[in-house]
Order: sequence, then structure tokens, then C-alpha cells
Amino acid sequence: MTETTNMKEKLAEMQRAQGPLLEVKDLKVDFTTDDKRAVHAVRDASFSVYPGQWVAIVGESGSGKSTSAMAVLGLLPGTGKVVGGSIKLEGQEIAGLKPKDYQKLRGSKMGLVPQDPMSNLNPVWRIGTQVKEALKANGMDVAHEKRSALAKALAGDEVAVKTNDDETFIGSQELPALFDAAKVALKAAGKSDEKIAKLMERFKEEWVPGSETRWRVADDLIKAGVKDDDAWVVAKEHVTGSTMNDRIAGLLSEAGLPDAATRARQFPHEFSGGMRQRALIAIGLACRPDLLIADEPTSALDVTVQKKILDHLHMLTDNLGTAVLFITHDLGLAAERAQHIVVMYKGQVVESGPSLEVLQHPQHPYTKRLVAAAPSLASQRIISAHERGEDAKALMEHQVKGEDALKKSEHIITVEHLTREFKLPRKKELFKAVDDVSFSVKRGTTLAIVGESGSGKSTVANMILKLLEPTSGKVIYEGQDIAGFKGRQLLDFRRHVQPVFQNPYGSLDPMYSIYRSIEEPLRIHKIGDKKSREKRVRELLDMVEMPESVMTRYPNELSGGQRQRIAIARAMALDPDVIICDEAVSALDVLVQDQVLRLLNDLQAEKGLSYLFITHDLAVVRQIADEVVVMQHGKLVEHATTDEVFDHPKMQYTRDLLDAIPGGKLQLGLD
Amino acid sequence: MTDQNSAIEEQGKELFVDPLPGQERFVAPLEETPLKEVDYLDESVPPTSMWADAWKVLRKNPLFIISSIVVVFVFIVALFPQLFTKVDPLNCVLDNSLEGARAGHPLGFDLQGCDVYAHVIYGARTSVSIGILTTIIVTLLGGFIGAIAGFFGGWVDAILSRITDIFFAIPFLLGAIVVLQMFRTSSSIWKVVFALAIFGWVSMARIVRGSVLEAKNLEFNTASLALGSSPIRNLFQHIIPNSLAPAIVMATMSLGSYIVSEATLSFLGIGLPSSVVSWGGDISNAQPLLTTNPSVLFWPSLALAITVLAFIMLGDCVKDALDPKSRTA
Repeated sequence: MTETTNMKEKLAEMQRAQGPLLEVKDLKVDFTTDDKRAVHAVRDASFSVYPGQWVAIVGESGSGKSTSAMAVLGLLPGTGKVVGGSIKLEGQEIAGLKPKDYQKLRGSKMGLVPQDPMSNLNPVWRIGTQVKEALKANGMDVAHEKRSALAKALAGDEVAVKTNDDETFIGSQELPALFDAAKVALKAAGKSDEKIAKLMERFKEEWVPGSETRWRVADDLIKAGVKDDDAWVVAKEHVTGSTMNDRIAGLLSEAGLPDAATRARQFPHEFSGGMRQRALIAIGLACRPDLLIADEPTSALDVTVQKKILDHLHMLTDNLGTAVLFITHDLGLAAERAQHIVVMYKGQVVESGPSLEVLQHPQHPYTKRLVAAAPSLASQRIISAHERGEDAKALMEHQVKGEDALKKSEHIITVEHLTREFKLPRKKELFKAVDDVSFSVKRGTTLAIVGESGSGKSTVANMILKLLEPTSGKVIYEGQDIAGFKGRQLLDFRRHVQPVFQNPYGSLDPMYSIYRSIEEPLRIHKIGDKKSREKRVRELLDMVEMPESVMTRYPNELSGGQRQRIAIARAMALDPDVIICDEAVSALDVLVQDQVLRLLNDLQAEKGLSYLFITHDLAVVRQIADEVVVMQHGKLVEHATTDEVFDHPKMQYTRDLLDAIPGGKLQLGLD
Repeated sequence: MTDQNSAIEEQGKELFVDPLPGQERFVAPLEETPLKEVDYLDESVPPTSMWADAWKVLRKNPLFIISSIVVVFVFIVALFPQLFTKVDPLNCVLDNSLEGARAGHPLGFDLQGCDVYAHVIYGARTSVSIGILTTIIVTLLGGFIGAIAGFFGGWVDAILSRITDIFFAIPFLLGAIVVLQMFRTSSSIWKVVFALAIFGWVSMARIVRGSVLEAKNLEFNTASLALGSSPIRNLFQHIIPNSLAPAIVMATMSLGSYIVSEATLSFLGIGLPSSVVSWGGDISNAQPLLTTNPSVLFWPSLALAITVLAFIMLGDCVKDALDPKSRTA
């Protein structure tokens, strides 16, 4: 513990001595609209990043966080322009640089890990070629490591890096000879065969061509017991530099891709999302920039993958002494990863400071709101209930009633041995998307199905909605098997079981006015006349806390959260018993997400609804669910009450999911 | 609780010695960063629909204004040619062959002694009606087949798509010659419309099929099904309205090309008979005069070019206005 504190102090001392790597002062960015109006995307934003430091910019969509980062990189999209303020990199003003001069900075001084791993790799090029492009564009020396002064100084503690030659990479050609020489040296040092075999095993794993350098080899040998001089002789003789291909493989394996040499020859479509993001990290770090800008690098990935990738990125940048400007919408994630947090709201910096301090004592009302709403922060529920005072009592009452109901109420929906197989193109065997899943939803409660992408959770939802027929197994609604529902009966079932879908931009017909959208279910079921339907629409809008004036508007005029509230109003139109929310809040900003969850919670308390809540986000589950079903690869992994799952998870997979919740272990308090 | 808090503070102190210069705690003054309600809806902005939005974009587009003025003008000429000339285009006097311009005949005469100006004016009616009729038939036929193929999918789609492919494989001119040969004796413009539509519906069907397929898989459609709506109701209530935009764009843009195709057919002598005044026929007749009397060739060509350009520009503007990618929330 004291050792790490010492390291931290030493680092801070050096950072202080070197001054900030990036200093942004009063940055102003404007976009010009079609009718020549200026929109101020960033207003007077100031922040700084020190060498080797992680700084996070946190904010909701449209807060200007990505725009600020892109302004630093000189890559503002469209009509965006820096209209004021200064951006200094290593003390030099770069805000007004010509595109050509900027080009020299990007890659070598500043790297980028973009947000969407799916669209940021060129699909017609091999992964290796894309890494090579980055190396070539900056004229990188592929035979030697480029380490920042900071990393050198910190690493200098362990072993003195004397000359530049000590940073020569291992080449794949010379690897066998190196292993032989290492074996001989170990033998000469008097190690037993068994010990040698063990050490060699480790070396084989660690000495990656194009990634590990000469002094590391020497260091490893010395630590294994070989005499200093002998170790250096071996290292000097057998580590003489890598080729371009070695370096590419080295970079990819550094980013955490196993079997990197083979991977380098593959195309992006052969990679999963996580692997693509790793390749993008390799590209971003290829030229050893001093500053890496990571723009929501993991928001498109599953939480467990996100954790792995960020852990790895952290280790890498610490080793290289790279500073990271980390853009995220997730406060918990920011606090967990960065030392310094900058909170942005509507283009302005509203609060900044050491991350734990900002989180524990938020001062600006916006930050307070964010902290209160962040689902990933462990103590959220208690605090929000406490804060809401009166509401808290109602919440408790509802819970008590809920618990009471849990015991005696019947099951409104029961799923028995549900299985669904899909035929995959060009494959003979069927793919089991859902494999023997059984559970039941108790009346008036919320059951959450949690799983990562591809776990089959949405397929289950579609089968319960009878939008998809199961291969085998049954869905029972109110004691009746829904497989037999037809005509009148099916219409009746549809009336009582309503969905709310994930994509707020897709679930409302863009050609329908809000009024028509909400009225649609009433028309389909031929309920009421024109006048009574209009009255009902007004009631429903009031229920989801939207003004009546919204009736004449169209979905494209509303925000994601507002559209989702309209979708809820539509689902409520027929007074259903069950609402199936398929990732209904996943695409929303935290504050809006919190608002929609509260709305759902209130509606449940008021109308005694039962929810089936499909989500990938365990943090959300805690806020809304009474029972949890965890799914993985189509199978049900764990099924228990929410408290049990969170407090005593039984399965390893559930524990992994819980561990991966960003900021889950941070302790918070609200002033 | 307080114990815990102080413990946390201890921990915080240990982890973060002192903020680095320039990274001290900063809180923006509230008056400079006013807080809006979560998910605030600006009610002062007047509501607009997709069509109203598109119209707003179009109204400000100079290209749209120019091309629509031209199109409207061409329509007026086509509907009321008498307003623009008192001369009967079919009243040709050989004595006037290739005479220059004179009072009442501003563009002179062609080889047959027909008034060039009157021909250009009356030719508009043929060209425009062929363009519009073909577009209507193509849109209805292609739209219907495309919608059926996209909506039902499976074997229906397979059969309809193969039929479309077959029509695609036939060279347009060759096909048109064969079709028009069947109606050699008729002088009605319908035969040209028929020939153009037979080969024109294919592209429309493909476009509509694509957009129906896309609309079919959108979530609002699934949502509507889960509300209890029937698939057929959905086709008419959601899917077709949502695939209209590309069909409209396709229709406006191809209207011009049908006019050109008619001219091509007439030019080759297999389109309309010489008794029907059309720009294509006029161009064909004037072809031998290219070196000696180019103005006879020039005027119908100019009228054709301007009309077609106007329609294509109009289609382009409509496409820009309806393009969902340029429209954001």
C-alpha cells in the first residue's frame, strides 16, 4: 500500500514538474445550421490533462463532450468550428493550426479510439493492413519501442534503460534461437530442469515478438536468476529488432488479441465487437501517442467485455505513460477509471475536480442530479428514496405490498421448458437461441431477464408476445396456453399483454402524429367513438406526464425519452395486465432513464401491472425488479429475488456480471 | 453512517494527494449554467409533420423554385397550347419549306413547311402526357408488385423477383421495338405509354420492394402487430405510407427519362406516327438538316432538354427534402 502511494506521489511530482500535456482554455465551438444560424456546441470549456493521467469528460448526449474532444483532435465534423479559446498541447497552441500541421500531430502525439467498433474499421482491408497504415502514415520505427519520458522514468526504478538499443523489439525470426539461448543461460545459472521448463513456459507467453523489448528480456532473465552480464549478452545477441509484421502482431497482442499473427490476416467481419474494439485500441496506440482520446470506447459492448477491455487499456497506458482523455456518459465508469472528472452540461463545464471528491460531494445541481440518477452506483436506491422523502414512504409501502403479493398471488405468465431453434445460413445444425427456459411472472411484480447480447432474452420476449412461435415448450397466460390463441382470443390476449420496445427512434411510426400513435390500439380494438378516444388519449398523455400540446406533433420532434414515454402511453391505452419492456430504457441518457423508470414504477403501483423487463444492465434491474432471471447462451443461469442475486449470487457468471457494473464498488454520499 | 463517511474521506485523501495545478475543484456558478428540466419539451416550437418539414426545406431551395416554375409552365403549355400560338401545327404548306422567321412564325419553318414554333408548343402535350401516364402506370404496377414481393417474402417474393429480373434482362430498345411493331397501325400515344411502362415498372418494383422490406422490419410495425393489428392492415396503415417517399422520388426523377425515351422511339421512327406532333418526331425529321439548317433541329431539342432537366432537378430536390438521413430529431 505504501509502495503504491509512493509511486503515486512520485508520479504526481513528475506531472507537476512537466506541466499539463493538454490544456484547453475557454474553448468555444460553433456549428452553423442550414439557415446560417450559429449553434454553440461548446461554450467556454476549460480542462487539462497531465502526462500519464486519465481524465474523464462526463455528460449526456448533446452536452458537447465529444465535440470538445474532436476539437482537440482537429476533427470537428461538418460545419463545426473552433471560434474562441485556446488548445495547448505541450505548451504549444494548436487551435489555429493548418490541417497539414494537425495531421502531423494526430497519430504520433494524439491518438483516437472511436466509439463504434462496427463502423470504424474498413471492411475490405485486413486488420493487419489497417494497423500498418497507422504505423506507415507516421513513419514509425517498427524495430524500436517509443516510450514516453514519464514511463521511462517510472520504469527506471526496476532496470536502467541505458541506450535506445535496449528498446529493440524481439523479432519472430530470432525467437527460437532466443529461447535456446535462454535455456542454456538458465542451465548455466544452475536451475533444475523442472524449474527451467516452468520458466520457459512463462517466457514463451511473455516474449511476444514486436511487443517485448531487449531490456525486458534481460530483466526477466536476471529476475530468473541469470547473472546480469550473461543475461545482457543473451538479450543483445538474440534481440535485434522486429519486422513490420512482427510489430503489427505485437501491437494486436498487446491490445489483448490472442493468436495475433493469425488475427492480423483476418477481416473485420470475422471479429466480434470486443475484438474490433481491441484492434482499434491497437491502432490508436500504434504510434505511441502522448495523449489518447477514447470517445465512449466501450459503450457498444457488453459490460463484462467492457470491463476486460478497459482494464487492459488501463494497464497498457500505465506502461507506456500515455495520458487518456476518456469521454463517457457513465458517471460510475468515469469515477472508477479517471483521477480527474469534468462534468459537461449543454456545452458548458459545470463541475470538475478529483473524481471521488466530485462524486462524494457534488456541488452543482446538475452533478447532484447525475449522481442521484446513476444506476450503476451501488447505494442509489436508498439515497434516492431518502431524498424523495415522502415518496420514499410510498415506495416502501409498495414494496411491502409487493412482498405480500409475492407469496399469495398467482402467476400471470408462466414459461415452461421454452426452446427456440433457428436455422443458420450455411450451417447444418440448428442454433438454439433459447434452450429449455422456465420461469413465471407473479401478478403485480416485475421480473427482469438479464443477459448479454446473444443470450436469447429478446427471443424469449418475442415468444411470450406470440410474435414468434417456440420450437418446443409452452407460454401460459392466465392459465391458458397461448399457442392455441386465434382470432377473438388472440385479440384479447394482445389487449392484455403489451410491449415497449428498445429503440425509441423506431417504435413510433414517423408518419403518424402522436395522437394517431396513441389512438391506434383503440382503433384496432374498436373501442369508443372519436370523442371518447380523444379523451382517453388526453388521459394517457397526462399519465406519462406529457403536455396535451404534444398530440399534434410527430415523433421526429421529440427526444428519445419523450418518445419512449409516448410508447408507454400507447401500451397503456388498453389497460393491459402485463407490459413487456424489451431494453426499454437502454438507449436513454441516465437522467431520462431514471425518469422513465420512475414512471414505470409509479404506474405499476397505481395499476397493479406486471412487468417483464428485458435488459443487459444489471444496475437498472436493481432499481425496478422484484425477481431476476439471468440468461447466458440461451440457458437460464440463475433465478432468484433481486436482493438475493445482488447479495448472494450463486453462479460465477452472475458474479462476473455484478463485478462488471462500472463504479459498483465506489462508495458514495450525497451532501 | 458518519463513521463510514469519514472513512471514505480518509480513503479519498490517501488516493488523491493534492489536485494538480489547474485541476482544482471547480463548480460553475448556477446563474451561468441554468438547469433545465430533465427531458425538456420546447412547446413554443410549432409542430411539424414529415411532409411539412420537407415542404419547408423545398420552399427555400432555389433549384426547386426554378424547376417547379419550368414544370408548371410546361404543364400550362401542354394543357392550353392555343394560348401560345394560333397556328395549326399540322397545317403545313410546302411552299414555306425551310423559310426563315417572319411575323407570326418566330422560329421559321421546317422541311415540310410546318411552323417550328407551333410544333414545339404542341409537342409539349404529347411529351408531357406520355411522361405522366407512363409514370402513373409504372408507379401503380411497380409499386403493387414490389409491395407484394417485399411484404409476403418467401416464394411469392422469389417468383416476382425472378420475373422482374427477366424484364431487366431484356434490352429496352429491342423490347420496345417488338412491342411497338404489334401496334404498328395505331396512332394513339397509348401504345408508346404501354411500351415504356412494360419496361419501366421493373425499377419501381425493386425500389418499393426494398423500402417495404425495410419498413416491415421496423419496430413500430412489430409494436402495431403486438397491439393486435393484422398484418394486412399494417401493410396499408404503416408499411406503404413509410415506403412512399422513395417511390415518389423515383417517379419524379424518371418522368423526365420517359419523355426522353419517347423522343428516342419517335426519333427511330418506331414511336408515334408523323401525324402526331412530338418533339422526338420533330428532332427525327430535322436530322438531315443538321448541317444546312440547324435551327429546325435546335428548337425541339432545346424544349426537350429544358423539360427533362426541370423534371430531373425537381426529383433531385424532392429527394433531398425527403431523405431521412438529412432529417434529425
